[in-house]
Amino acid sequence: MLEARSLTKLYGAHKALDQLELTVEEGEVFCLLGANGAGKTTTINLFLDFLQPSSGQALIQGKSVQEPASKHLLAYIPETVMLYASLTGIENLDYFSRLAIGRKNRKEDLKDLLIRAGLPAEAATKPVSNYSKGMRQKVGIAIAMAKGARALLLDEPTSGLDPQAANEFATLMEAQRALGTAILMTTHDLFLAKQIGTRVGIMSQGRLLSCFATAGVDHVELERVYLDTIGSRMKL
Amino acid sequence: MERANNDAISDILVIARKEGLELSRDRRLRWLFACLLVLLVGALAQGWQTNDAESQERASAQHANYQQWLEQGARNPHSAAHYGVHAFKPINPLAFIDPGVSAFVGISVWLEAHKQNEFQFRPARDRSSLHRFGELTPALLLQTLAPLLLILVGFAGFAGERENGTLRQLLSLGVSRRRLLAGKALALVGLMGAMIVPITVAGALLSIGTGDASQRLLALVGAYLLYLGGFVFLTLGVSAFARSARQALLVLLAFWLLNCFVLPRAMTDLAGHLAPAPTGAAFIQALTDARRATFGHDESHPAFIAFREKVLRDYGVSRTADLPVDFRGLALREDDHAGYRIHDEHFGHLWAIYDDQDSLRQRLGWLFPGSSIQAVSAGLAGTDTRNHVHFARAAEAHRRVIQETMSENLIQHRRNGDPDYSADRRLWAHIPPFAYTPPSLDERLTWQTASLGRLSLWLGGCIALSLWAVHRLRP
Repeated sequence: MLEARSLTKLYGAHKALDQLELTVEEGEVFCLLGANGAGKTTTINLFLDFLQPSSGQALIQGKSVQEPASKHLLAYIPETVMLYASLTGIENLDYFSRLAIGRKNRKEDLKDLLIRAGLPAEAATKPVSNYSKGMRQKVGIAIAMAKGARALLLDEPTSGLDPQAANEFATLMEAQRALGTAILMTTHDLFLAKQIGTRVGIMSQGRLLSCFATAGVDHVELERVYLDTIGSRMKL
Repeated sequence: MERANNDAISDILVIARKEGLELSRDRRLRWLFACLLVLLVGALAQGWQTNDAESQERASAQHANYQQWLEQGARNPHSAAHYGVHAFKPINPLAFIDPGVSAFVGISVWLEAHKQNEFQFRPARDRSSLHRFGELTPALLLQTLAPLLLILVGFAGFAGERENGTLRQLLSLGVSRRRLLAGKALALVGLMGAMIVPITVAGALLSIGTGDASQRLLALVGAYLLYLGGFVFLTLGVSAFARSARQALLVLLAFWLLNCFVLPRAMTDLAGHLAPAPTGAAFIQALTDARRATFGHDESHPAFIAFREKVLRDYGVSRTADLPVDFRGLALREDDHAGYRIHDEHFGHLWAIYDDQDSLRQRLGWLFPGSSIQAVSAGLAGTDTRNHVHFARAAEAHRRVIQETMSENLIQHRRNGDPDYSADRRLWAHIPPFAYTPPSLDERLTWQTASLGRLSLWLGGCIALSLWAVHRLRP
């Protein structure tokens, strides 16, 4: 579903992303781990077509991300889902979903989507200026659900969430994965990566150094592999 | 294709609706908009009332003055020409929107023998200089405060969304940048419409049954749409281009200050410097000097003597007493004709200077449209210098009808300069009441072609700028 072919992004002489080869299949959660500046967010931005690759391609279901049709398959949930503060949760969802799918949803359906995404029913009709970060994440998930996205790009989605909210988020992502959605997630959270990731990639200095399935690897092992991989790269 | 168009329209409407919803929930903007509307309605009511009262006053004065002319009693026709009549400039139905130069050019002119007089009763002379700053007209509000409101509402259109992160969210959905621009522009155009509608309604009500005023009103509204539409796209373009909402606001406010206050004043001064008009005193002195070449009532003037010789020669007589017509009547007509040429030359030169100054003032109108909209607004409202000159020419033409009629009567009916000759109401009634036919809409639009062209360029340039800015927009 998501595919990077020799994806490279240069800023002058600096390689923000270097020859990334990556595939995320339907029903798979691929977690990109790495320190700040490793190239994780650059990867997400390239899939979002916010950046132009210096070389290589980012593809969604075989289509270049620059093709408008590919954007309909994709949803994006950043670290903090930014919404219009004076609008209610339903109004925000209505706005984003109408622009995404091009048709009007009934108010009841929108509210139902927000509730399915975990938002308390009474919050749906309140301005989002009063929402917590976790509640905003849920609106973001509802937008993705409304859009019927076949691929999700998550950029450090649980950063700053309390453990309960992070757990709820993980549960929702599990549900999305079970529906066959391909999920590419960047995170610093090794526990989350182990919890919902089917595969993990470790990045450093723009390169994907290691890539393996999470099945059969426990948290301790994952942390050791991560530190070893990052450490060996640093020594280089 | 049709589906794509429908999608585009649907997206644009969704975006515009959301923008409108956000604006309607911003208490500060609600207050700002309400204040502007109150000012606008107040200015409209004030202008309307003034128009109505002055219009009646002038019509009544014109009528009374004509009755005085008819009732002046029996007297020498040339004395009647000196007695003269007054021509009162009728109030234009759209002057309540833009009074233009009305307060500075006078409202009536005395049409008397020998002289093309200056206009009298200039309201600006009776006011303190501070009054000019306190006079809020609908035109001033639309030319200065309306763009400011659009800037204050729209400066964060893209820059704010980028700072808040919502732009990233939007673009990730694959929303076209052009549709975003169009939707945001539509919301601002709606706001612009809310400011223009009261003026249009008031103008339409006042224009009923007043010639082409309703068509001029439409043209005027069109010109303001060009002007304010440019501000809509400039605001959004700068917002998309700027690094931050604060930077966008600073740039836009600087532009607004330049456009609305600094440049119109500076360009007026520059135009006055490059195409200097004579002072009132210098103009009258030059006219007086030129008139010295004509003889007036001076029978020892060489021009008078030469004319007498020519007339005697033409008629083949040796004394004026032997002429079959009244020589003094002929001399008056001759002097009038010489005066017409001098007046035409001097006033024509003066008005050409005013035209040059107007043209110079608007040189930068495509970039800073303030001076262009001022010109179009006053021009279509019928209150600019050109409209005044048109009226002055009509008044002068009427004066000449009076002169010609009076002199012709003397030529044909008086004999040998009979000092007791007089005419009565029957002759005075040959002079019709002064009736002014204002320039047609086509004529007025022709006068404003260059300004309208500059306003169109301004709007086109701003649209191009905004399209370029959103094309390079990054979240």
